[in-house]
Amino acid sequence: MDPSGIFFTSHARDRALVRTKRQAATLALLIAALVIAPLVLSDRWVSLGYAMFITMIAVIGLQICTGYAGQVNLGQSAFMGVGAYGCALLLHYPQVPIILALLLGGAAAALFGALFGLTAARIKGFYLALTTIAAQAIFQFLVLNLPGDWLGGAGGLHLENLELLGVNLGNDRALYWLSLATLLVMTGGAFGIVRSRHGRSFEAVRDDDVAAGMMGINVAAAKARAFLVAAFYAGIAGGLWVIALRHVSVEQFTLFNSIWMIAMMIVGGLGSIVGALIGTVLIQLAREGVVSLGPQLVDLIPSAGQDIVFASMNVLLGTIIVLFLLFEPKGVMHRIEIGKRAYRLWPFPY
Amino acid sequence: MMDFLNYAINGLLLGQVYALLALGFVVIYRASKVFNFAQGELMLLGAYTVWSLSLGANLSPWLAIPIAFVAALAYGWLIERLFFSRLVGESVFSMVMVTIGLVILIRGVVLVIWGAADRQFPALLPTMPVIVGELILPTSMLVGAGVTLALTLALWYFFNRTRAGLALTAVAEDPYTAISMGIGVKRAVTLAWMLGTCIATIGAVILLNGRSLNVLSADVALAALPVALLAGLESIGGLMLAGAIVGIIQSLVAAYIDPKLGGSASSIVPFVFMLFILVVRPTGLFGWRNIERV
Repeated sequence: MDPSGIFFTSHARDRALVRTKRQAATLALLIAALVIAPLVLSDRWVSLGYAMFITMIAVIGLQICTGYAGQVNLGQSAFMGVGAYGCALLLHYPQVPIILALLLGGAAAALFGALFGLTAARIKGFYLALTTIAAQAIFQFLVLNLPGDWLGGAGGLHLENLELLGVNLGNDRALYWLSLATLLVMTGGAFGIVRSRHGRSFEAVRDDDVAAGMMGINVAAAKARAFLVAAFYAGIAGGLWVIALRHVSVEQFTLFNSIWMIAMMIVGGLGSIVGALIGTVLIQLAREGVVSLGPQLVDLIPSAGQDIVFASMNVLLGTIIVLFLLFEPKGVMHRIEIGKRAYRLWPFPY
Repeated sequence: MMDFLNYAINGLLLGQVYALLALGFVVIYRASKVFNFAQGELMLLGAYTVWSLSLGANLSPWLAIPIAFVAALAYGWLIERLFFSRLVGESVFSMVMVTIGLVILIRGVVLVIWGAADRQFPALLPTMPVIVGELILPTSMLVGAGVTLALTLALWYFFNRTRAGLALTAVAEDPYTAISMGIGVKRAVTLAWMLGTCIATIGAVILLNGRSLNVLSADVALAALPVALLAGLESIGGLMLAGAIVGIIQSLVAAYIDPKLGGSASSIVPFVFMLFILVVRPTGLFGWRNIERV
């Protein structure tokens, strides 16, 4: 709902992403703040920042697949891994530009994802989620069992120092800006996708795939497309990940990480791109909190030793997922909308 | 030839243990249309309980196992009370998501209580193999196949011939209709989860007999997935056949193809097979075909 006094005379303006001058100003301020932030923040926050941006890209992809198209996807982390390996392989050749390597890594992941999405032609409902578990298993198997000089086996691949436009990417701040720029592009793209014909067909498939089919939507193709988009986003995120760490190995991309991303999406709110961003920030901060509380936790429950940090992370994550599903299935975004509405209507109750 | 027979029969027995684990998936699916991703973690809970009772508290196995079953019933009851009773009538989507949350939650709880170290699971069944002619058969697997057969028959009777079992199917079909027909939906779902945790505990005792136990033991449930899918998620009787097929394929691949590839192709075979089944025949061998209406 818009505040009073704001109305549009054309459909295009009504559907626009940024509709009022105020929104444009807020957005510009936010982006400016994000760009300037690394100049004032400490190293730790900068590296947390780009880790968040990279995760956000993957979670946006997951949001399109699960939140918009309604397809449970437990393979997002594996798709990220495919992108990471693809990007790393290309970056071994110094003449390949980083942006091209990122895009091709994303394309490789998209192909891998679409392969599993294609099974949607035959499979309905939650069986599709099971094929994504198979994607995870097959990814791990391929990496570990292909000849060692292809993907490095269990040891993984290493990269030399990279440069983009003359800037050394071994620097945390350069990485921050690179991932921020990528995130902005990918977020804009996501808004484009979900507001397009494809996005609307995703929502129709999610709400009732039989009805969607009767309306002339090719349901199987829409599902495959949803996986393609999700895997492409994951692949780009994976590529950035490998550029940031300059190392890629199979244990960075586990089923466990996919579940973290699902938690971020659920906390933010299913079916909202902004929700994916907010959910990622909240969960990453919570995770960071547990890590920094680690020493106290070890003192509190000495029997479990150092493993307690990982264990309590699991408990935290599981509890967050379950509590949100039980008590706020629409996520934080829903609360924000309610708050916004109440603020605009104040002092009237409705 | 004897080698081949040995591999095949061991695969057959392994498949029956998978079928036993898959029974847990099917029981919960039959009662609520929920695919329980946390089945392996339920097994973990059962396994650690048995471990605590028999090695931690030094009880004899004959005392420890019954107590573990009572505990398993309690876990099932608790899970239903805490989570699924609040979701009756909600979309299957949120219930499936809750089971994904449970995967992580239960692993975390197990890590907090029992830690990450490897534990030696008590050998409640003899570890010496039974040797028939030239065939070498692990005793625990033989017992497992027997238990699977007995459980399959009992559950088949329960789901197809008794009032309570048929009520579970009605609840899965449509909880609202079931309520208006006078079926206690919450009670039915509780019963299903209790059965699920109990079956998981039986699976733990047989599968982990004398082996080491840690959080990653739960992953074996993923290997049981293809069995449940091949049989069709609604089918109880089909599980043993499906288990036999998957088990034999996996065991033969492990014996003849792994050495040539120098890798563990056998670990991936069930998943590739699962994809194949899903594409060729999504309802499995004996699953139900549903007619969907808008």
